[in-house]
Amino acid sequence: MKLYCLSGHPTLPCNVLKFKSTTIMLDCGLDTTSVLNFLPLPLVHSPRLSKLPGWVSKDGSANLEKELKECAGRVFVDSQPEFCLPERELLDLSTIDVILISNYHCMMALPYITEHTGFTGTVYATEPTLTIGRLFMEELVNFMERVPKAQSATCWKNKEMQRMLPGPLKDVVDVWAWKRSYSIQEVNSALSKVQLVGYSQKVELFGAVQVSPLSSGYSLGSSNWIIQSHHEKVSYVSGSSLLTTHPQPMDQSSLKNSDVLILTGLTQMPTANPDGMLGEFCSNLAMTIRAGGNVLVPCYSSGVIYDLLECLYQFIDSANLGTTPFYFISPVANSSLEFSQIFAEWLCHNKQSKVYLPEPPFPHAELIQTNKLKHYPSIHGDFSSEFRQPCVVFTGHPSLRFGDVVHFMELWGKSSINTIIFTEPDFSYLDALAPYQPLAMKCVYCPIDTRLNFHQVSKLLKEVQPLHVVCPEQYTQPPLTQSHRSDLMLELQPPPMPYRRCSVLNLPHRRRYERVYILPELANSLVPSEIKPGVSLATVSAVLHSKDNKHTLQSVPKPPPVAPSKKRKRVLEEPPAVLAPKTLLSGAVPLEAFLATLQKHGFTEVKVEETADGHILHLQAEDTLIQLEEDGTHIVCDNNEPLRTTLRDLVLRFLQKL
Amino acid sequence: MDRECALLLPGVCAVLSGSGSSLPDDTSLEKLLDWFTGITEAGGSLLEACPCLLKLISTVVHNAASDPGVLSFALRLTGLLAATEESFETIQEHSVLNEVFNLQHWQEAGLWEDPCLRIGWIQGLRSMLQHPKALSFFVQSEFIDPLLQLQTDTSLFIAAAANQMLAHILLFFQPVPPAGCKGVDTKEKDDGMTPSSTDYTAVVKSISGYLKESLVPKESKNVRQSLQTLKLLALLLAQAGPPLRDKLLQTVGDSLEELVTAGSSELTLPLMDVILSACSSGTDERITRLLSSMLNINKPADLIHAAAAFLRRGQHDTVHTARAVRILLLPLDIMTGQTLLGTISTADEHQFSVVEQLKSKSSCISIICVCLSNTPQITLTPPDVLPCLPVSIVTTVLSLLKICSGNSPSSSTGCSEVSRNVIGSGKVQKCALEALTTLTSSPGAKERISEVFTVLIQYLENPDSDPTVLHKSYQALLKWTSVCTDFSFITDQLRHDLVEVVKKRVCDMRWEVKDSTVEFLGHLAGVCDSIKAAAEECDSSEALLGGCSTTPLLREALQDSESYVRASAISALAKTLTHRWQQGATLTEEEPEIVSRLLEILSQDSEGFPRRAVVQYFISWYSSHSPPSSSSSLLMQSVRSVLSQGRADLDWEVKVHTLVLAELLLDEAFSGHPGYKKGSDSHHAPPHAYGVVSEQAYTLHTHTATHTEGAESDLAVVVEQGVVSVLLSGLVDCDRPVALKACRLLITLRETVCPLSLGALDASAAMATVSCELPGCGWGREIIKILKMKKSDQAKEEDIADQRGLNGAEEGADSVCVSVCEALRSLGLDERMEVLTQSSDHIHNSPLSLLQDILTASATHTKPGEEVIVDCY
Repeated sequence: MKLYCLSGHPTLPCNVLKFKSTTIMLDCGLDTTSVLNFLPLPLVHSPRLSKLPGWVSKDGSANLEKELKECAGRVFVDSQPEFCLPERELLDLSTIDVILISNYHCMMALPYITEHTGFTGTVYATEPTLTIGRLFMEELVNFMERVPKAQSATCWKNKEMQRMLPGPLKDVVDVWAWKRSYSIQEVNSALSKVQLVGYSQKVELFGAVQVSPLSSGYSLGSSNWIIQSHHEKVSYVSGSSLLTTHPQPMDQSSLKNSDVLILTGLTQMPTANPDGMLGEFCSNLAMTIRAGGNVLVPCYSSGVIYDLLECLYQFIDSANLGTTPFYFISPVANSSLEFSQIFAEWLCHNKQSKVYLPEPPFPHAELIQTNKLKHYPSIHGDFSSEFRQPCVVFTGHPSLRFGDVVHFMELWGKSSINTIIFTEPDFSYLDALAPYQPLAMKCVYCPIDTRLNFHQVSKLLKEVQPLHVVCPEQYTQPPLTQSHRSDLMLELQPPPMPYRRCSVLNLPHRRRYERVYILPELANSLVPSEIKPGVSLATVSAVLHSKDNKHTLQSVPKPPPVAPSKKRKRVLEEPPAVLAPKTLLSGAVPLEAFLATLQKHGFTEVKVEETADGHILHLQAEDTLIQLEEDGTHIVCDNNEPLRTTLRDLVLRFLQKL
Repeated sequence: MDRECALLLPGVCAVLSGSGSSLPDDTSLEKLLDWFTGITEAGGSLLEACPCLLKLISTVVHNAASDPGVLSFALRLTGLLAATEESFETIQEHSVLNEVFNLQHWQEAGLWEDPCLRIGWIQGLRSMLQHPKALSFFVQSEFIDPLLQLQTDTSLFIAAAANQMLAHILLFFQPVPPAGCKGVDTKEKDDGMTPSSTDYTAVVKSISGYLKESLVPKESKNVRQSLQTLKLLALLLAQAGPPLRDKLLQTVGDSLEELVTAGSSELTLPLMDVILSACSSGTDERITRLLSSMLNINKPADLIHAAAAFLRRGQHDTVHTARAVRILLLPLDIMTGQTLLGTISTADEHQFSVVEQLKSKSSCISIICVCLSNTPQITLTPPDVLPCLPVSIVTTVLSLLKICSGNSPSSSTGCSEVSRNVIGSGKVQKCALEALTTLTSSPGAKERISEVFTVLIQYLENPDSDPTVLHKSYQALLKWTSVCTDFSFITDQLRHDLVEVVKKRVCDMRWEVKDSTVEFLGHLAGVCDSIKAAAEECDSSEALLGGCSTTPLLREALQDSESYVRASAISALAKTLTHRWQQGATLTEEEPEIVSRLLEILSQDSEGFPRRAVVQYFISWYSSHSPPSSSSSLLMQSVRSVLSQGRADLDWEVKVHTLVLAELLLDEAFSGHPGYKKGSDSHHAPPHAYGVVSEQAYTLHTHTATHTEGAESDLAVVVEQGVVSVLLSGLVDCDRPVALKACRLLITLRETVCPLSLGALDASAAMATVSCELPGCGWGREIIKILKMKKSDQAKEEDIADQRGLNGAEEGADSVCVSVCEALRSLGLDERMEVLTQSSDHIHNSPLSLLQDILTASATHTKPGEEVIVDCY
């Protein structure tokens, strides 16, 4: 059993598990933090961004004026943003049989894997994961394609050149593997390979293993996976949550008794409690609106935003914000809000029951009805005529490098009465804000990450008790900035096996058993004999037949009848020859007792010699050898059949017969 | 005992002698006993007054079918009756005592199993044991052993009562030292040969023998007995005089030593109690040694509790105090890495075991909390006892607070395995904040004020702080602000942070947090005002909030959806503006808006708290304003609305507050008047609104001074302001506190403008012309009814015109005018006052009513079918 680790990002994993004869990819997350090195893509021409000076090294030896721009002491690549893909050199991606997706955040690299690599397998995901994942991909493509950039900067990636660049560009690795966004055709093609599964549905892979998704409680349709054969069980835990938010609660008990548990997707903000952050979000929002300012919330178009809207639904009345408009701007805003309402079976119990009232599960429907929440595909069009300030705007992309959020940053960044509230934990807010400096706008960082924290995960592991745990190396030590917080790491016995990008782990579990089926007629012919109460043995002679990883014992084909003759009847009358089992012997011959018996029977001159496997008894008078070994006894005597028989009978006295 | 009761009592006795099961409710017997006790305590002799009681006792005791409750009552009653020597003898003559307390009899009858009877037995004896004869009886009857057995009774109440009883015997009869202050008459002790002396010696001998025996648990299940014994010993040692104390210590000394050595965790605290009690009553080498051993036991958790118990007793034994202080500081030292104890050399092994203990989360939290709650006391111990400067303890608490919030930059000095246990622990945070609040008074604390503010602001800022933690942070901030005389340490950054965090917290999702924040703003204004008064430094109020006006925040909070927050915002606004009012500052632009919002709340808010707060706002405005100011007209205008709305409110507290406001107006109007007694009501305010008001009967001012000119114009002013309407409507209010207050104020008013002593005709004609309008419905109608009733009672010389007017009022719903003086004189205020001052259940609470209840219940019981509804007050 081997694990190939293609991504080093703990919450955007991409691992490949080789188990029995299958090759299974677990998630294919796309690390988008690379875009932070790029200049934002403005929707409307931005004089500020276009006037940024190009970068020239101090000694003038490196001139990348066209490709790199300098802003507030940092250097950014002026090109279409590129993403850091999962490692593609570690193993041949065309050999992958299936890809299991755990949630819509962890599938963004799918087109890079399924297209142009020779991949011919199947992707398994739940329906909401596919639907919302598609929305995310379409949004990403839309964000990129709507602001086309002819130029693709590559000179800076030159090794010699990169060495001269200032940090953090200087330190980024594998820049040649960075890729621009995929196209909508690639998205469609990739997603056409997805096969839908429901929670606890069992999918057979080549008869070798069975995979099954379990609810993970993190987002709509999010799942953990169980990969098991008859005798081995591997659990794959990706983004999971134990908090009561909108999705169906996490199924913990099915993870019990795993031989190996691969643990990824813990919270990225172990010190930020989601409840506290939600409170922080609300009070900062109210504070800004009361002071007449606008609030910008850079966010993904699905997920936490549902909870934010639900929380605000309760909060706006108590905070007297009833008249403040809330805008949700995204190419997929409408679909996201509507899809969330129809996935009733994937929601928490509370919300499921609302469907029967009938009431929409999420209160954002009411916000939309009462015109408190309005959604638009982009800032162009209807929005510009409806736009009223002060207001609250939810829009993407959380990296602040593309999407409508760029426009609002340019619009509101100069005034200190406005506030930007970061709620997505994926990006460092300081890095996200870097190309907008100097910034007068107030910044509030309330990352809401509902995934498991270290406290919850150690409790979970105590309960499900896996034999071995594999996890990203980041989880095995305290965070760099808080090295004294030994409570913010995994402490297990035995210690977890850490992995990093490009690791290949030999999982410690050894396969010891394989299930073999026995055909009924063959089973019928067995004659078991009880050797101790409850345990019976039988000998079997059969042909082992293996197909599709299934092993079957079949009866030995009878030799074809010699010829149809008169003897046939006699042959049929002889079955006892087949049925009567040969007696089998078991047990060991105790040396002392055997010697005593020999003595009694007149073999007096016995010389005992100790060997590696047992003893050799030399009956000197008879010039005969008896070799007593662990798995056999040999009597060597020349042409003295009576002696051999006597000796054989003496040996047999000490053995049991089946 | 009044005659009526005396007449009823034999009947009641007869009822009780019966089965007793027909009692109206199970508290009747207790009430009867209370009544009897009251009579005895007042010096009356029950036996003389009610000879039937003795008969009752002997009947009940002999009646095999008596209810255990009644039996218990009889036992306790016997004790009560025999509490004086005289009656004791009388009862002895009737040979009742032996029967009543005959243990064997009860055991044979199988009644001893009933806890009711056992407690009756103990309490009966306890009441009786007030004189040497009783003691002799007690000793002769050999009750001491059964009593000792009851000390470990299965019922906790009985066990406790037995303990109290044992302590009572030893302490009450102990020989009085020459300068004695308590105990029995000295004449009996003088010769030392009175019977009681030998009896006492016998009792002391058996009890101390028992103590010695039962102190050390033989098996683990006997721990309860040891616990009880330790409690008894602590009781005894705390009050015993030297001979008894010495005797006791001599007897139990070895056992105590054995217990200390055994070191059972369960017994640590009670044992410490005993040792400390012994210490407090005298010095003794052995006890000192025991104390030293207690402060050296090797179970860290027990040791810390022992040390804390020692410090709490506030004893001034330098050596042990120093030891206890070190014990309590060690966990904090380990946790924070602050070197509180200097270099630890000898105690390394001990430190190791403390560290081990702290590694377990639950015991870590409990130990740290104990240590924290003792820090304020530690800082107040003499400097030569402290291993560090008091100010380092403040620093330690601060760094603990930082660790708790996960903000500690690095605990390289502290033990990280230990400190992780308190990260995020609300319990430790609260304890530490409480300690920090109290530490303001420790020497040198002010040096750390800047750090304190930084940490507290961090706590307020922390999104994970729970509402209680935030509340305590605010309290600490206020306390530290109040002791701060110099605000120069507050950097602009701190000021800015505080303003920002307060602005954020008033928008919090949780109403508790909003409420604490708003309250904080109000208190801060109060604190700043007092500082200002002290330092006469006008800009210090702005020192903390950097000149940021809090009024807009509070105004916003007036709109809050939670009524508590609205109420707190209103009182905070009042506190914030008080200073301006006092100075007679000109009206700001926002004040009229605030006032109109407040009046809106008073008239429309569905919750009581904000409405009460509104009236109080105007009370504080009115009482602090200086008359010639620009705000006066706005104030007077609004006061009028407040009076008319507050009067009609549904909440009785709003009405009482409205009456307080009316009182202020009265005070102002008549303060110059010689007959007016200002604040005549405020001293009589009952501590609790529903409480019985009987502290002081209301005294009438029987002055006869002539009225000054202008009293009628003052009266006209208060009528015009609506004060009289408020008082009159209050008078007929169905809520007693409202009616009571109104009645008092009306009497004050009457005594000022037209005292009864002057006679109706003497009242100046001018005064009589001042009249007020009564609405034809509601309270007006009630007042008219009373007036009319009084009039018909009075002589016929009354003005017919008036009569007509009143009749007219009843027919239609039109309002009528009545002369104020006339009304004040004819409302029968004094009788009303008398009724109102009695608590509402005074009728149902009397002994007479109790006796009647018992009789009625028994009558019903014998005649089934009729049901009596007992008043269940």
